[in-house]
Amino acid sequence: MSPDRLAEINARYHMFSAISPEIPEDAGFLFSAKDNLTSAGMETKCGSRILEGYVPVFDAAAIERMKAAGGALVGKTNMDEFGFGTFSVNSAFGVPLNPFDPERSCGGSSGGSACAAAVLEGHVSLGVSTGGSVSCPASFCGVYGLTPTYGRVSRHGLIDYGNSLDKVGLLSADAPVLGRRLAEISGRDPRDPTSCAQPELSLSGKRISSVAAPEEALRGVSGAVGEAFKASLDRIRESGADVETISMPSLRYAIPAYYVIATCEASTNLARYVGMRYGRQDGDLSLGFDDYFASFRTEYFGDEAKRRILLGTYARMAGFRDRYYAKALRVRAHIIESYKEAFGRFDAVATPTMPFIAPRFSEISAMSPVDSFAADFLTVPPNLAGIPHLSVPCGYSEGMPIGLHVSTDHWREDLLASFAEDWSESFKAERAGVGQ
Amino acid sequence: MDLETVARVARAARISLTEEEAERYRRDLTDILDYFKVLDEAPDGSSAGVNPVEVADALRDDEPRVCADAYAMLSGMKTYDGYVRGPRLS
Repeated sequence: MSPDRLAEINARYHMFSAISPEIPEDAGFLFSAKDNLTSAGMETKCGSRILEGYVPVFDAAAIERMKAAGGALVGKTNMDEFGFGTFSVNSAFGVPLNPFDPERSCGGSSGGSACAAAVLEGHVSLGVSTGGSVSCPASFCGVYGLTPTYGRVSRHGLIDYGNSLDKVGLLSADAPVLGRRLAEISGRDPRDPTSCAQPELSLSGKRISSVAAPEEALRGVSGAVGEAFKASLDRIRESGADVETISMPSLRYAIPAYYVIATCEASTNLARYVGMRYGRQDGDLSLGFDDYFASFRTEYFGDEAKRRILLGTYARMAGFRDRYYAKALRVRAHIIESYKEAFGRFDAVATPTMPFIAPRFSEISAMSPVDSFAADFLTVPPNLAGIPHLSVPCGYSEGMPIGLHVSTDHWREDLLASFAEDWSESFKAERAGVGQ
Repeated sequence: MDLETVARVARAARISLTEEEAERYRRDLTDILDYFKVLDEAPDGSSAGVNPVEVADALRDDEPRVCADAYAMLSGMKTYDGYVRGPRLS
């Protein structure tokens, strides 16, 4: 695939914020990477104007490892600014269009990655998930999306949103690719201490034999999503696995706990963007430092970034910290314990991925911030708990894909890789359109 | 949340707001914090770690080494005589 051909496809779907000027013909495979992973010599902007002009001098560990495995990086994919969004509409550099219907969202925040995975033949894209940013777009674009355990893939070179939540994942229309590439990009990396406690990834082919379906997961999903989910559970039963409905009341606390932790971490992580060192630095240096920093942050952060920075700053302030941040950490521990209890009896927990099919852009613009947060109620719990999860295409409504979400215990990506392969053999997924 | 609190938070975050923006964020943050009230009744887990998995200390040998090319990194910054340039301190 030539850069020119890629540019033609990009003009139609807006999945890339940058395309590599040269793509070697003898590459083992082609991949793209979400634009919050640093790429040596290639502009990296995180969907934010404040990082315009930032050209990293090193590759993120995941990109480095994909290249070492024979991959060629073809482009950086569009995303919500710093990962702040569910629909990829909060980007300063173009909104990716859903290949099944260009009037609808690709999902977010790895929307460009899901779009590239859906449209380009044999493609794999590195996404990043903080609260569901691999699964949501995988579901909306009808591809497979694998998010590993927190710490499985080094975060070196991943530009932080919520550092206790961020995970590098993979999106592809080709299910067997997920396990293969995960084995290549995972492993300990002293440059990211959180990766250094992981047990070895062993893709032994072991299969999921029992699945729990929390009854809470079907409250608030659309009729079509509910039907597709029930049909998926029947398909899992037919494959020989046990399926049982359980109750996980703790799931209702996941959204507030997640947004408190994520915005607290984001507000500190984004404090580094002040018009020095990275990205835009074209301000008036004769200003006092408070005015200089505020002028950049006011001018170049987008609306959602400001909202989340303000929320996180508030929740960390003296007098509120215990009520919000400290409480959210304890609630996260409770949710992890709930999952551990379920995994004591079952190999996996299954829910729909998103409560509805990809919405139209006109519907998204009518949503309040709370409506947007609430849309993540199925993808946030496993992300908050740091457990690995997988979205697979499982049905269609109005011509749009629906996703099934499967989560396993910490470090059990092997079960998800087997599940993805088996699922792809029994469920015939539709492709949106293929660019050669 | 009142407008005074919004202004205090924005100052701490080094973000300037117009009156219209302050009112809009006040409304949004009030809605969001109302939505978060369910946390007050949520049970606590037995720990409150800052990471969702156990993290091991990863110490390297105490030997000096170059972890990144400082000169290459400086190439993307405004510099003067090898120092990063910044705004006035007062």
